Amino acid sequence: MDIGTAQSVLLSGIVLGSLYALMATGLSLIWTTLGIFNFAHGVFMTIGAFIAWQIGADLGWGMGPAAGIAVAMAALIGLGCLSEFILVRPFLRRPDVVLVAVITTLSAAIFLENSALLVWGGRYKQLPPLIEGKVGMLSTAISTHEVLIIAVAPLTLFALWAFLKFARTGSAIRAVAQNRESALLMGMNVPVLYSLAFGLSAALAGFAGILLGSIRFITPGLGNEPLVKALIVAIFGGLGSLGGTIGAAYVIGLMEAISMFFIGLYWTPAVLFGVMISVLLVRPTGLFGKR
Amino acid sequence: MAEPILDVREVSVGYGKTQVLWDISLTVPEDQRIGLFGPNGHGKTTLLRTISGLLRPWSGEVHLRGERIDKALPRAIVDRGIVQVPQGNVLFPELTVAENLRLGAYCRRARPRLADNLARVYDLFPRLKERRRQQAKTLSGGERQMLAIGAGLMGEPTMLMLDEPTLGLAPKLKDELLEAIGDIAGSGVPLMLVEQDLEFLLALTDRLYMINHGVVALDLDASESFDHDQIIQMYFGKE
Amino acid sequence: MRDLLTGPNLARLICLLILILLPLVVPSPYIRHLLIITFIYAMVASNWDLSLGYAGVFNFGHIAFFAAGCYGSAILSKTIGITPWLTIPLAGIIGVIAALIVCLPVLRLKGIYVVLVTFAFSQLCFQLVLSQEEITGGSMGMPLLPPLKIGDYNFARDGKFGYYYVGLFLLVLSTIYLHRLVRSRFGTSIVALRDNEDYAISRGISLARQRMLTLGLSAFFTGVAGGFYSTYVRVASPEIFGFGFLSLALSMLLLGGLNSIYGPILGAFVITLLSEAMVDLGPMRFLIISALIILMLLFYPGGLNNALQQAYKWSSRSGAAARLFRTNARN
Repeated sequence: MDIGTAQSVLLSGIVLGSLYALMATGLSLIWTTLGIFNFAHGVFMTIGAFIAWQIGADLGWGMGPAAGIAVAMAALIGLGCLSEFILVRPFLRRPDVVLVAVITTLSAAIFLENSALLVWGGRYKQLPPLIEGKVGMLSTAISTHEVLIIAVAPLTLFALWAFLKFARTGSAIRAVAQNRESALLMGMNVPVLYSLAFGLSAALAGFAGILLGSIRFITPGLGNEPLVKALIVAIFGGLGSLGGTIGAAYVIGLMEAISMFFIGLYWTPAVLFGVMISVLLVRPTGLFGKR
Repeated sequence: MAEPILDVREVSVGYGKTQVLWDISLTVPEDQRIGLFGPNGHGKTTLLRTISGLLRPWSGEVHLRGERIDKALPRAIVDRGIVQVPQGNVLFPELTVAENLRLGAYCRRARPRLADNLARVYDLFPRLKERRRQQAKTLSGGERQMLAIGAGLMGEPTMLMLDEPTLGLAPKLKDELLEAIGDIAGSGVPLMLVEQDLEFLLALTDRLYMINHGVVALDLDASESFDHDQIIQMYFGKE
Repeated sequence: MRDLLTGPNLARLICLLILILLPLVVPSPYIRHLLIITFIYAMVASNWDLSLGYAGVFNFGHIAFFAAGCYGSAILSKTIGITPWLTIPLAGIIGVIAALIVCLPVLRLKGIYVVLVTFAFSQLCFQLVLSQEEITGGSMGMPLLPPLKIGDYNFARDGKFGYYYVGLFLLVLSTIYLHRLVRSRFGTSIVALRDNEDYAISRGISLARQRMLTLGLSAFFTGVAGGFYSTYVRVASPEIFGFGFLSLALSMLLLGGLNSIYGPILGAFVITLLSEAMVDLGPMRFLIISALIILMLLFYPGGLNNALQQAYKWSSRSGAAARLFRTNARN
């Protein structure tokens, strides 16, 4: 393998890692705040891409990418809040909430995927890249859009971190996750904070979907494969540690790119699964997990 | 007689099907500090949780300065100034001391004076200032209590309810807390204090209620300077 | 033996009798087809309940055991040429092997991690099936699988009578198997583990061993169902990994109620008929089914089984009251 190939493998690994980081961070955020795992996360990604396409793309209503992204983000926050209200809130006090939430969010995923199929049909759609053209990077040329992904993902995650760390509402979201009763006694509106966490997480997924929607074709099943990858990332990094999740996302992205190159497309899922299993055999709660 | 700050009228409450409090009534008059004591598991914490809105009474009413609050949400009650500092609490373990304290001022009423109150808390508990960048879970037991009380003060209480602040603390730390709570009470914040340690209660409060089997079993004026043995005697005399 | 003909047992026997006689009375092969599919789903759902309900193992890879049976039987019969009469039971063993593979990482895990790993395992199987085109036919699947035959009698051409009775026979076998299993010491021990893990472990029950047994035992008839399914529809297709199949099986389980054998079977009957009635609706069908799952959880978490038991209790209220009285008197 020459240096050029090595660099392009590296770059595609980082692109994948960036997308997985956006996805898995949202999963992790919900896990830490509400203690449930959201299987509708992948379909949030799909819906985000479809809405951006509908509003923004020329074959849709052609209002331009900025409008597309803005509407998609707003819609996803709304969809996230609604999902929390229907899928999670009624069951939060039940002792088997973890299992019930798996079932409700899985059902929601089926519901939304088929809704997307009804609304947009099964034909392939694609978002135009946010920026056209190619850039020379290291010694290979990659599309500007991919450079954008590499740059935007860490920025978004940094903004999320800053929000959770410094904003009043952000620290309240972290606080609610750690001690619900004290949060109530301090006058926090716990249900609203739960909704907000879900909305934020959905927006992150939708954003990842928009970025992915101009690399791959948008179909109702767009989010399924990334969901499984994000799931592997979440297990690998350990649910509940944002830093761990982000780190794991890049590790898995790189591992996937390397494995694609050496072992091929077909066996790569098995390689990733194998890695995940090995981690779990050594550390049953992931590399950085606590619960 | 002036209207009491807090008026609990014949409140019954429990968890699931288990009733804990049976038609309990008590009042907190202006300028009085109330102490609650009694055996564990007989309803002191339940009473506080009911007042702060975490539990909804099955029957009975709670009034704060004439306003009925027993159907209000916890955050509405906090906004009216009742702040409960729960028992043996680590607050938010992964957050730093300073973050914990800032969140203590989360309610709308307390926000404007956040900076002043923070300075006041650091003044009262200098150790918290030293450790303000540490995660709360790294604090010692005594420091955690200070943090919990400090966060309570950040909420600008018009009535502060402390639930066993000295639980499991060494005597030296107890004295330190006694002094701090005395300072707080001296600054005019009405207090409701749950304690096992009678000496501690006698030193800090004006009026004592003993809660036993979910009812008020004894109602004492602490200024009549009872000592520990007398109270124990009265208690067992009544049995 | 006297018990055999009283209460719920009598009801079950009557149901079985009806199912045996039904094809002789109802002429439509379409109805037989629906019931064959129902038998298959009923096996999948009731066996799934062994791990998800009784043992409380959050296993979301159950469909992978079914798929393993499906493809295993297809490969054995079509590629290697073994008679489907043998490949169907062998599919059970293949299902068990798949279960033992997923067991390995799951033994030490807790709660949500079990869900994630089993779910990921099922997706991994899907990816492998897609990618190993020479063996599995990739996204096209494996069409034209050999049908069941006795001599020259071809089950694919008899108006579905043969498959109907084979399917019913397998379902009865699977149900007796589950029935005995949950009433055995093993059945009691997995419920004990679910309800009070620490106590059960302290009484010498091994968590890892029971988990492995649970998954393995729940996979056998699931794999058999898979083998029978691909033999019956004569195609092994990757569609079974999709959310559609998963949601159907899950809705049967929830509608029927967890922790019962007959609940999910009943759920399979209701959902298959319901789903068939909606077949013209296309994607709408899955919208309705997934919404139904959520509504079930919201408003009737006990499922049909709960309703049945309540009805039964109500019908024998006097007896129950007397028993209750005796128990109270003793305390």
